[in-house]
Amino acid sequence: MGFPYSEASWSVVDGAMFMGWGSGMPGVYTAIAAVVCLAVLFFGNRSEHDRYGDHD
Amino acid sequence: MEEQLAELAAQVAALQAGGGVTNTMFAETYYFLSIPLMVLIHAGFLAYEMGASRMKNVLSSGVKNLLAFAFIMPTFYFFGWWVYWAFPTGFTLSEGPAAISGAGYANAIAWGWGESAQYMGPNIADQASGVFWAAFAMFAATTASIMSGAVIERIQTVGFVILAIVLGSFAWVVAAAWGWHADGWLVTQWGVHDFGAAGLVHAVAGFFALGVLINLGPRIGKFNADGSANHIPGHNMPFTVVGLMMIIVGFFGFLMACVIVPGEAWSWFGDKPSTIYGTPITLSALGFNILMAVGGGIIGAWVVTRDPFWMMSGALAGIISVASGLDLYYPALTFIIAVSAGLLLKPAADFLENRGIDDAVGAVTVHGTIGLYGVVMLGIFGAGFPALQGAAGEVPTISLIGQIVGAVVFFLLGFVPGYVVSLLLKAMGMLRVPEGAERAGLDTVKVPAQGYPEGIPASNPASR
Repeated sequence: MGFPYSEASWSVVDGAMFMGWGSGMPGVYTAIAAVVCLAVLFFGNRSEHDRYGDHD
Repeated sequence: MEEQLAELAAQVAALQAGGGVTNTMFAETYYFLSIPLMVLIHAGFLAYEMGASRMKNVLSSGVKNLLAFAFIMPTFYFFGWWVYWAFPTGFTLSEGPAAISGAGYANAIAWGWGESAQYMGPNIADQASGVFWAAFAMFAATTASIMSGAVIERIQTVGFVILAIVLGSFAWVVAAAWGWHADGWLVTQWGVHDFGAAGLVHAVAGFFALGVLINLGPRIGKFNADGSANHIPGHNMPFTVVGLMMIIVGFFGFLMACVIVPGEAWSWFGDKPSTIYGTPITLSALGFNILMAVGGGIIGAWVVTRDPFWMMSGALAGIISVASGLDLYYPALTFIIAVSAGLLLKPAADFLENRGIDDAVGAVTVHGTIGLYGVVMLGIFGAGFPALQGAAGEVPTISLIGQIVGAVVFFLLGFVPGYVVSLLLKAMGMLRVPEGAERAGLDTVKVPAQGYPEGIPASNPASR
């Protein structure tokens, strides 16, 4: 991925300066983060219902 | 002579550049500082609802509140911010007259991928997007916290988090797009004015909670067979009352974030602050009116209840009742309206309770009912004031009809999704905890920690 500008110097930076800028990686990171949230809700719900099992 | 003029021009240019840097840093700092103040709202809600819970549920209530905050942040990043910019003109997602709305505009600035990602992360050329996003994310989390207290002691955690996401990252955002954004159709067509979000944050969240409460049902033991209600006291009223005071502190951050500072490319003016509608406002106006509202609300509630819980709820109600017009009210009028809100509070809460609604902290009343009351009050007292920046005759004015239309829309934007989504969760078995778990206490069932390992002594309450 690397530095998103042609020269590895902060003096040429005039805009976005995060890791992945200029590539498809921000979208990949966003998608992974969304999947993490969905997975936590899915497995969290399963775990929660397991705990309720003893108190039905 | 020419050399001196050139030198002078260079010095003026340097001064202008320096002034611009200072202004930009001030603007960024201004909104940045509103963020931790708004975090105090959540600290307050956390203490508030944990205190209002019985000891057997105290940590479970806290976990629920923390998760709402945690899930609002990424989901507001994923799509909530996009909704705010895409929806102002309605469900058509078309561009409005100010040309800063619609799906095209939102696609360009509010997605976390592609070219628009430059506005959704660190960018040396953009000192505004992040602080605006964060301030709005805190508004979003506030809505979830408002709902959170109402449903304590019997709602499932994941079901609640899903509801919080729907409310915080969609429902209220649509209300903000319609009633706050300069291209919002409620603003441009009806002159709706809701400076401090009495309707689009508080009422939406309060009535969302009502929709959920109808499907969730009351806590075991709340109502007797004949329909009469029992009071279920929380385990720690001091905790609750201090939490409410922390919310008041946080409101200063909430309301300062509603002001648009001058001098930036995105500002309405170069030389004076404005509301989000481009109408003039000063922080001094907020200084006068917020404190007069807090005092009025406490006094009104004290007259009716003598109860510190309702007195502090009255402080919230006082602010919410005048939030729509904090930029315009005269302080003494603010006080009068806030007193009336404090007086209304307990009877309005009793009205709901008498209809079988178990709102554990009075959130529907404080935020929902009083929020709409505040929106309508501005229509009575503020009629004729221009609702938006622009030439006379070209911009809508505040009116009672317009404010009532806004109130109805805010009610529906809260109640309908709250009712429908909670009904779906109920059908999927994800809304209410089993009876056995509720009786045992949710901390025992699912929290691997103890709130009070050594116990705390209790005292008998004074008679009224």
